[in-house]
Amino acid sequence: MGLSGIEIFKKLPKTNCGKCGVPTCLAFAMKLATGKAELDACPDLSEDVKEELGEASAPPVRTVVIGTGERAVKLGGETVLFRHEKRFENPPAFTLFLSDKMDESEISAKLTKFKETSYERVGLVLRPAMVAVKGEKDASGFMALVEKVCNDTDAALVLMNEDADALSQAAKTCSNRKPLIYAATMENVETLGNLAMELSCPLAVKGNSLEELAELSEKLIKMGVKDLILDSGARTAGKSLEDQIIIRRSALMKKFKPFGFPTIVFPCEMTDDPMKEAMIACQMVAKYGSIIVLSEIEGHSIFPLLLASMNIFTDPQRPMAVEQKIYEIGATDENSPVLITGNFSLTYFIVSGEVDASRVPSYLLIKDTEGLSVLTAWAAGKFGADTIAPFIKKCGIEEKVKHRKLVIPGYLATISGELEEELPDWEILIGPREASHLPAYLKELSA
Amino acid sequence: MTFEIPKVSYSGKIKEIPLGRGENIITVGGESCYPFHLFEGAIPHPPKIAMEVYDKEPEDWPDTALEPFADVAGDPVAWARKCVDTYGAEMIALQLASTDPNAEDTPADEAAAITKKVSDAVDVPLIVFGTSNTDKDTEVLKAVCETCEGKNLIIGPLGEGNYRAIGATAIGYKHTVMASTPIDINLAKQLNILLGNLNVPDDKIIIDPTTGALGYGLEYCYSVIERIRTAALIQEDERLQFPIIANFAKEVWKTKEVKLSEPEAPLLGDQKKRGVLMEAMTAQCVLLAGADILVMRHPEAINLVKESIQDLMIKGEG
Amino acid sequence: MSKIICSAAIRGAHKIVGTAEAKYEGALKKWGPDQEIGFPNTTYYLPIIYGMLGIPVKTLADAKKVLDKCKKLLPEPVSDKVWLPYLAPALEAGMATFFAEEIIEAIRYLEDPDFYTKGEDPLPDNIWLGAADDVIMRKRGVEFVDGTAPGFAAILGAAPTKEIAAKIAIELQEKNLYVFMCGDHEGKTMSEQLIEAGVQIGWPTRLVSFGPSYMAAVFAIGFATRAAMSFGGVKPGDFAANLRYNKDRIFAFAMPLGTVTDEWYANAAGAINWGFPTIADTPIPQILPTGICTYEHVVSNIPHDQIVAKAIEVRGLKVSISKVDIPMSYGPAFEGERIRKDDLYFECGGGRTLGVELTVSKDMSEVEDGKIEMIGPDLDQVKEGDKLPFAMLIEVAGRQMQSDFEPILERQIHHLVNYVQGIMHIGQRNIMWIRVGKAAVEKGFLLKHLGTVMHAKYHQDFGGIVDKVQVKLYTDEEKVKEILELSKKVYKKRDERVEGMTDETEETYYSCTLCQSFAPSHVCIITPERVGMCGAYNWLDCKASFEINPTGPNQPIIKGECTEPVLGQWKGITDFVNKASRQKVEQVSAYSLMNFPMTACGCFECVATILPMCNGIMVVNRDFMGMTPCGMKFTTLAGMVGGGNQTPGFLGVSKHYICSKKFLLAEGGLKRVVWLPKMLKEELAERMKPICEEMGIPNFADMIADETVGTTEEEILPFLEEKGHPALTMDPLM
Ligand code: SF4
Ligand code: SF4
Ligand code: SF4
Repeated sequence: MGLSGIEIFKKLPKTNCGKCGVPTCLAFAMKLATGKAELDACPDLSEDVKEELGEASAPPVRTVVIGTGERAVKLGGETVLFRHEKRFENPPAFTLFLSDKMDESEISAKLTKFKETSYERVGLVLRPAMVAVKGEKDASGFMALVEKVCNDTDAALVLMNEDADALSQAAKTCSNRKPLIYAATMENVETLGNLAMELSCPLAVKGNSLEELAELSEKLIKMGVKDLILDSGARTAGKSLEDQIIIRRSALMKKFKPFGFPTIVFPCEMTDDPMKEAMIACQMVAKYGSIIVLSEIEGHSIFPLLLASMNIFTDPQRPMAVEQKIYEIGATDENSPVLITGNFSLTYFIVSGEVDASRVPSYLLIKDTEGLSVLTAWAAGKFGADTIAPFIKKCGIEEKVKHRKLVIPGYLATISGELEEELPDWEILIGPREASHLPAYLKELSA
Repeated sequence: MTFEIPKVSYSGKIKEIPLGRGENIITVGGESCYPFHLFEGAIPHPPKIAMEVYDKEPEDWPDTALEPFADVAGDPVAWARKCVDTYGAEMIALQLASTDPNAEDTPADEAAAITKKVSDAVDVPLIVFGTSNTDKDTEVLKAVCETCEGKNLIIGPLGEGNYRAIGATAIGYKHTVMASTPIDINLAKQLNILLGNLNVPDDKIIIDPTTGALGYGLEYCYSVIERIRTAALIQEDERLQFPIIANFAKEVWKTKEVKLSEPEAPLLGDQKKRGVLMEAMTAQCVLLAGADILVMRHPEAINLVKESIQDLMIKGEG
Repeated sequence: MSKIICSAAIRGAHKIVGTAEAKYEGALKKWGPDQEIGFPNTTYYLPIIYGMLGIPVKTLADAKKVLDKCKKLLPEPVSDKVWLPYLAPALEAGMATFFAEEIIEAIRYLEDPDFYTKGEDPLPDNIWLGAADDVIMRKRGVEFVDGTAPGFAAILGAAPTKEIAAKIAIELQEKNLYVFMCGDHEGKTMSEQLIEAGVQIGWPTRLVSFGPSYMAAVFAIGFATRAAMSFGGVKPGDFAANLRYNKDRIFAFAMPLGTVTDEWYANAAGAINWGFPTIADTPIPQILPTGICTYEHVVSNIPHDQIVAKAIEVRGLKVSISKVDIPMSYGPAFEGERIRKDDLYFECGGGRTLGVELTVSKDMSEVEDGKIEMIGPDLDQVKEGDKLPFAMLIEVAGRQMQSDFEPILERQIHHLVNYVQGIMHIGQRNIMWIRVGKAAVEKGFLLKHLGTVMHAKYHQDFGGIVDKVQVKLYTDEEKVKEILELSKKVYKKRDERVEGMTDETEETYYSCTLCQSFAPSHVCIITPERVGMCGAYNWLDCKASFEINPTGPNQPIIKGECTEPVLGQWKGITDFVNKASRQKVEQVSAYSLMNFPMTACGCFECVATILPMCNGIMVVNRDFMGMTPCGMKFTTLAGMVGGGNQTPGFLGVSKHYICSKKFLLAEGGLKRVVWLPKMLKEELAERMKPICEEMGIPNFADMIADETVGTTEEEILPFLEEKGHPALTMDPLM
C-alpha cells in the first residue's frame, strides 16, 4: 500500500488497451491502489515495474486462499486496524473441528450439521466455511477420516497432525483440494515447509510464543513458502487477544513481514463449555482471528457468530442493501396496509421488525434505493415520486390489495403531494418518522 | 528471534465516574488504553453490567427472556431485589418503558414513585431510562430527579431536545446523566460540550452512543464506540473522554431471531441458547469496542459476559 | 458613571450600612454575640455574603465581621469637589449595601419570626414570602438553568395604578420571567396592587412578593447568587465566577417603578455587579454600555407600555415561542401537500398576480417584535377563486444579526409556510406562489397568519441571530409594487455583495464536518469562492449556521498566514484540518487536484479527475450515469475517492465551484477542463461565460468535449486538437 493511484498510474503503460478489464490505465491504477485488482491483470508490465508495484500495492497482510472451487476460502488481505478506517476485507472462516478420536456417529452427526447449516441474509450466504481434521491416533485412522471428509463435503480443509509423516501422506492425497497443512513447528519446519511448496498448499505455523512464531515464519519466508497462516500458541481468551492485536499491528504499523499473514485460533481448545466457546469465537471475529476452529456447529451459536462476522466485515462506506420487492409480513390479505421504504438493509430490518411486532399483517414494499437510507436516497433523487410511482405500478401490489392507501415514511412527507399526482388512484398517508412508532401507527390505522 | 511490540502511545485517559452513593459507589472509566489492551495501559475499573428491570410487566418478551423473572415481572421492586439477591447484579437499569405515550403513558409522578421505591430497595447504583420521547422523558426524568434526591442515579437519555431541562434538574439534585446521540461521534461530542456549558460536572456524564443489536446495525454502533474511544485516548478529544454505556438488551430481545422457536426454525438451534448468545455476543462486541457499562437482561447471558470480562482482564499468560 | 447616580448610590449605601450597624448593636445587646441568625431552611447561610465572601454567617458575631468589611468597602461620600469618573466606587457601595441588607433581614427574622410567611404562597393575612428556602430555590432554580424561566425582573416600588401593575406583571409572565417584588412607592407596593387587580401572586404564578421594604431586594439577588453555587458549581467566595455566571446566564434586571431614592440607587448599583441592568420609568440619568452588563446599564424614562419590551432588549433576553398560534395544524408532515384546482380558494403570485417575499434586517429600534400588519383585504374579505397581488415583508433585528444572513432567513420562508396545513408555497423571491385551500379558509385561516408563522419560526429556529421580528403583509396593488421595487434593490445589493466577496477579502473561512458521520476524517473547507462539495453550504450559510449553533459542524477558522497562494494553503487551515480530521489529514490545498487535494466524503455533486492523454481535467456530475473518458463512471469514481480520504488526482467538487475563479487554480483553472457531461455544461453555461471572457477565450465552452464527442480519451483528443483547446499546450499535469 501507500502508493496513490496517480503514482501507480505513472508506472503503467498508458495505452488504455483495456486488457485488464477496465477501460483505462488510470482506472486500473485506482483499482490497484484500493486493493480491488491484482497486478497480474495487466499483461504489459515490465518485470521491474511489477516488482516495484507488487511490493507497494501488496496488502500488509497477505491474502491466502485455502480450498478450491466454489468453497475456496479467502483470508487476510487486511489493511486497517479498525473497520471504520476502511473496511475489513475477508470475514473469518468458522471451522468445524473433527478428530479421529471421535466415534463415527459423532463425526457423521457433526458433519451433517456442518453441511446443512447455511443462512441467507441480505442476499449473502452465511455458513461455516471449513472442516479441520485432526489425527490424534494412528496414521491410517487419520487417512480414513480425511478421505471420509473429502468425500462428504467440498468445503476447504485443515489437516492437523503432530506426526509429520502422517500429515504429509494425507496432504498428498488431497492436495488437489488445497488444504491448509497444520502446523510447522520448531521440530518439523523444514519438512513441512518443503511439503507445502511441493504441493502448493498453504501452511500453518505454530509457535509457543510470538517470538518463536516470528522466527519460524521468517524461516519459512526465506525458504520461499508464500502462503502462511499464523498460530501464536495462545490458548486463553486474554492472551489470544493480546497476540492477535500484536500480530496485526506488527504487520500494519511496522510492516513486519513474518506477521503479515492471516491467523488461526482455537476457541475449541480454550474451554469445555460450548456457550463460552462461542463467546471466545465472537471475540476473535472482532479482533483479528481468520480461521476460527469450533468444536461444534449448532444453529444457536453459529448463527449469531455469522451475524457478528457479517456486521464487523461490512464495508462501513457502502451500505448493505436488500432486494427490491413486496415483503409480506404476517398473514396478509387484500385489506392489509401497504407501506413503502428504501432498501438500506438496516432500514429494512428495523421497519420489518416493527411491523412484525405490531401484529398487523402488512405489505412492506422495498424499493431499490441503492442501499441508501430514506432521506439520503430522496436527496440523491432515488426515492422521489417519479421513481416510486412506476415501482408501485409495476411491483404487483395493485393486484394484491383492494384498497389504495400507501403509507410513506414520515420524513418524506414533502413528496406526498407529488406522489398523489403521479399515483392518482392512491391516497398517500404519512407514516411516523421513527420506525419504533410504527406498531402504534399500524394498530390505529387498521382499527 | 526478537521483535518489538508495536505499542500505541495514549495521550488521553477516560474520566473516572463514581456511580451510586455511600459505601456502594462503583466507579467506571479510568482507562488509559484500548479495551483490554493490558499490555500497554491500565484498566482500573473493568466494565460493569447493569441488569434490566421494567416498571410494568413486559408484554412482548419471548418466554425465554421472561422465564427467569416470571415470579417478579409486574413488581419492579421485587424484580430489582431478585436481580441483586439471586443474580448478584452490580447495578440495576430501570427501564421506564410504560411511560411511552405510545404505550401506557404512565404519568411522570407515578414513574417517579416507582423509581423511588426501587432505589430504596437496592443499594447498588441505579440507572434510569426513559423511552427516548423527548417531551415525556423530560417530564418523567425531572420528576425522578426530584423524588430521588441524593441517590446519584444515572438518568437518561438526554438528547439534543431535552438536555437542558433534564440536565439542569440533574445538577440541582445531584444525579449523573447519560448523553445520548444517534450513532454519531460529532453529535456525541457536541452534546458533551453543551452539557459542559450547562455546568453539568465532568464526573457526572456518561456517553450513550445508541446501540443496536447483533444483525441489526450493530456495526455502526461498534464503529462509533471505537471512534469515540480512539478520539478520547489518542486524539486528545477531551469532550469524549467519558465512559460509555451500551443499552442494547431491549434491541436484542425484540428481534425476530430470538422469538422463533426451534420447531419454527430448526436451523437456528435452541431458542433459549440462541437468545442468550445473541445478547451476550452483542455485549462482547461492544465491550471490545470500548463500552464501560452494559445494560443486559438474561442472567445466563450476563454470566457469559462476566466470565468473558474476567478472562480478558487476566494479563499475559497462556 | 453618572455623577448623580454615583453620589446617590454611595449616599444610600452609607445610610443602609448605618442602619445595619444600629440593628446589629441592638440585637447584640439583646441576645449576645453567640445568638444564631440566618434565613430559614437553607445551607447557604446569608447567600450573598456566603457567595461573595465565602463567610458563613451563623451568629451575630459573624455578622460583625461582615459589617466591618462593609465599612471598608464603602467609598467616601462624593462631594462637589471630587469628580468620580468611574463606576467602581458605586459598585462597591452597592455590594456593601447588599451585605448590610442581608444582615438587617436576618435580624428581622430573629426579632419577628412571623414577619414573613414560609412557603410558596401568600397567606390571607400575610402576603410577604421572604427568602426562598432551599426546596423552593432548587425547584425554581432548575427553571433558570434549563431556560424555562430565563430570568427575573426585580421590581421596586409600585406602578401608578393597579391596572398598569397588572399589565406589566402579565407581560413579564408571558415572557416566562419571574417577577420579584419589593419596596413601595408612596406607600403602595406592586404586590398589593396585583392582589387588588385580582392577579394571583406567589411562587407558582411566578409573581413573588418578597417583602414590603426595598431591602427585600436581597432575596432576589440572594436567589441568583445561590443559583450560581448550586447549579454552576461555583465555590462560595469565588465572587468573580459567581458574578460572571449570573451575567451570562440569569436574564435578570431591576425595574424601579416610582421615585428612585438614594437607597434604591444603592441597590441598583449593587445589581449591576451581577450584570443586571436597571430599567426605570422615571427620568433618572442613563448609563450606557461600559462593559459590566452585557449592553446598557441604566435606561430610564421608559413609558409603562414599553418598559417590558425595553427591559428584554437591554438584558439581551431571547424570546421563546413554543407554539405556532394559527387555526391550522402546523408541521413538516404538511410540507408536501398540493392544493388542486378543485380545492383552491385563493391564490397569489406564481405569475397569476404580482407576488414577492422579502426578509430584511433593520435596526433594533425600528422593529417592534411580534407586530403583524395586514395592509389590504385579507381572506375573510375575498370570494372563492379570487386572486390578489401579494407581498410579505419580514423585518428582523438582532444584536447578532447581519445583513449577510438575510438571504438565509428568506430561503426558509418556503418550507416554513409550506408546513401550514392546507397551504401550498412554491418558489421564492418575486416568483413565489401561494395557494390556499378551501379547508384552510373554512377553519379561519388568514394571510395574516403567515406573519404569525414567520414570527414564531424565526424566533424558534434562528433565535441565535434574531431578537425581533415584525411582518407586513400587503394585498394592496400599489403597496405590493413598492415592495417589488424595494426587493429589486435588495437583490441587487445582495448579488453584488456575494460577487464582491473573495477568498482574499475574508480572513475567516469555515469548516463543515457534517459528513464525518460516515467519512471519519473528512473536513470541507468552505471559502467565499469555494462552496462545500455537496453544493449545499456556502460561506454565508456556514457563518450563519455558526451564529445559530456555535458548537455545531460549521466552525470559523482564522485562515492565518498564506503559505501557498496558488495551491491554496494557509497555516490556520492546515492546523484546523489536522485536528478536525483527527490527525489523518496533514495538509490540504483549497485549489488543487494534484497536491493535497481536499478529502472527499461521498455526497459531492461532481467528481473532477485528470485525463492524462489530454493533459486536462474532466468533471462528471452525479446525475450522469454513462461512461466517462477516465474509464470510470461516476459511481465507480465515487467509490474510489469517498470515505474521507485524500486521493491526488481525484476531487469532489460542487457545481458552483466549477465556475469559481479559484477553481483548481493550481492546475490552471477552468482552462484545464476538457470534458464535461452535456447536461452539466448546459447547466453551467450562463455562469461560465464571464469567466471564459476573462480568460480571453469567449467561445471556450465550445472547446470542451462532452459525451456526444466521445467517452474515451482517444475519441475526444482529436476534437480538442481541432478546437485548439488550451489544455493541450499547458504545463504537463503530472
Ligand atoms: S491492461 Fe495494462 S496497459 Fe492495458 S489498460 Fe489495463 S493497465 Fe493499461
Ligand atoms: S457611565 Fe457615562 S457618566 Fe459614567 S463614566 Fe461612563 S460615560 Fe461617564
Ligand atoms: S459535503 Fe457538504 S455537508 Fe458534507 S462536509 Fe462538505 S459541506 Fe458539509
